[in-house]
Amino acid sequence: MSDQEDIQRRFEELEAGRALGDLDAQEILEWEELAKNPLCKPDLSLEFAASALEAESLVQGAPSLPEGLMNRLREDMATFASPEPVGRTIARPVSWRKWLSAPQTAWAVAAAFAILLAVNLLVQTPAPSPSEPVIAASTPEQSREILRKKAVDLFESDFGGIGEYRQMSGKVVWSDELQEGYLTLSRLPANDPTASQYQLWIVDPTRDEKPVDGGVFDIRPDRETTVIPIRNALAVNDPKAFVITLEQPGGVVVSKQQIVVASAAPL
Amino acid sequence: MSDRVQDPFARGILQQVAQGGQQAMEDCIHKYGGMVWSIAERYTRDRSSTEDVVQETFMDLWKSAKRYDPAVASEATFVGMLARRRAIDFVRKESRRPQLEPLVPDDTLPHPDPMPSDSVRWEGEAAREALKLLSAETQQLFFLHFDEGFTHPEISEKTGLPLGTVKTRLRRGLIEVRDIMRRAERSQTSISSNP
Repeated sequence: MSDQEDIQRRFEELEAGRALGDLDAQEILEWEELAKNPLCKPDLSLEFAASALEAESLVQGAPSLPEGLMNRLREDMATFASPEPVGRTIARPVSWRKWLSAPQTAWAVAAAFAILLAVNLLVQTPAPSPSEPVIAASTPEQSREILRKKAVDLFESDFGGIGEYRQMSGKVVWSDELQEGYLTLSRLPANDPTASQYQLWIVDPTRDEKPVDGGVFDIRPDRETTVIPIRNALAVNDPKAFVITLEQPGGVVVSKQQIVVASAAPL
Repeated sequence: MSDRVQDPFARGILQQVAQGGQQAMEDCIHKYGGMVWSIAERYTRDRSSTEDVVQETFMDLWKSAKRYDPAVASEATFVGMLARRRAIDFVRKESRRPQLEPLVPDDTLPHPDPMPSDSVRWEGEAAREALKLLSAETQQLFFLHFDEGFTHPEISEKTGLPLGTVKTRLRRGLIEVRDIMRRAERSQTSISSNP
């Protein structure tokens, strides 16, 4: 057996140990070292095989979760759930161009975006294939910090408030590779969810003209700063702008862009 | 029985969860919460820690449901994989706790996530079929680990096999199960394309 085959075989055995959770400290270091070798390509196959053997037999007859835990899960759920009904048409405004030409949109954002769009048209780079972000955290704040540490392609950009929302400030962090991102928003007025809700749009000209729905969210009055996980309904390959609008409860299918709250254009 | 066999054309819960459907999330907790609990409990053996692992698993699930592809794995396999990861990470962190020096440089073992490049659908029924082709001794070790929830040291004590032997046989057995599933898929594809 060649050295290369020995290396691959050893790596495969360590991969099995990783899937079974029985690697010792030395083996973890060995796995990390071998994983850098182009011959060794980790994937999910052994983890899936282990889970396939274990999980399905446990679905039937499994115990109910304690009520206290159910309540915690529901609280977490509320952070990620969209109020919109499942299965509706993906909500997207008519065109991202309208925002960029709208008088209330900051000139700086439009200029930055125009440059980026031109560059994008000249250099068509293939979108990186997304990988699954599996990161342990219990709050959006923690998730954002973990993303900051883990993402190798992370970008951050400041939000600029528009019109009566000029006093707001915020930041967006986003990773194309992980398809994960967060808004950190301050001094954005609290909304009454029964009357209106904020909605995020992601402008990605590599997809098409229409922005991608980034999710509906609320700002509560008791929080100075709110961290919102981005829930992009479609994969975003190369975002050129993030825009927040105020819409009817549940968000809209087609935004009239009557109230554009803020925008951010990553450079 | 796998969800694929039960309802091959239904839009699964995870695809609805990926869209942020609150009712789907609630349904998902009801359908898979007990399974996640059982997996977590096997590793933590402590109620409070089990609750933490379950909570972390569902947080992971809300974030990663959009990665779920029903052609690649059954829902139970996908959710179970996330639960196993969280539980295994928990055990690793716990094992470090009494140490003065960290055993490994990072809290969390990296979890590379490239989907398998083959066309196997990872689900319980096929995995169990593959398991039947392993030696009786290895099947017994798998039974003790995956069905009875025994740890490797417990299996070693129960069977009288050295711990290293238990680890090696389980690892090689898992690789064998995966390879059998891949061969079965290739053979199935070949039959389909050459009727």
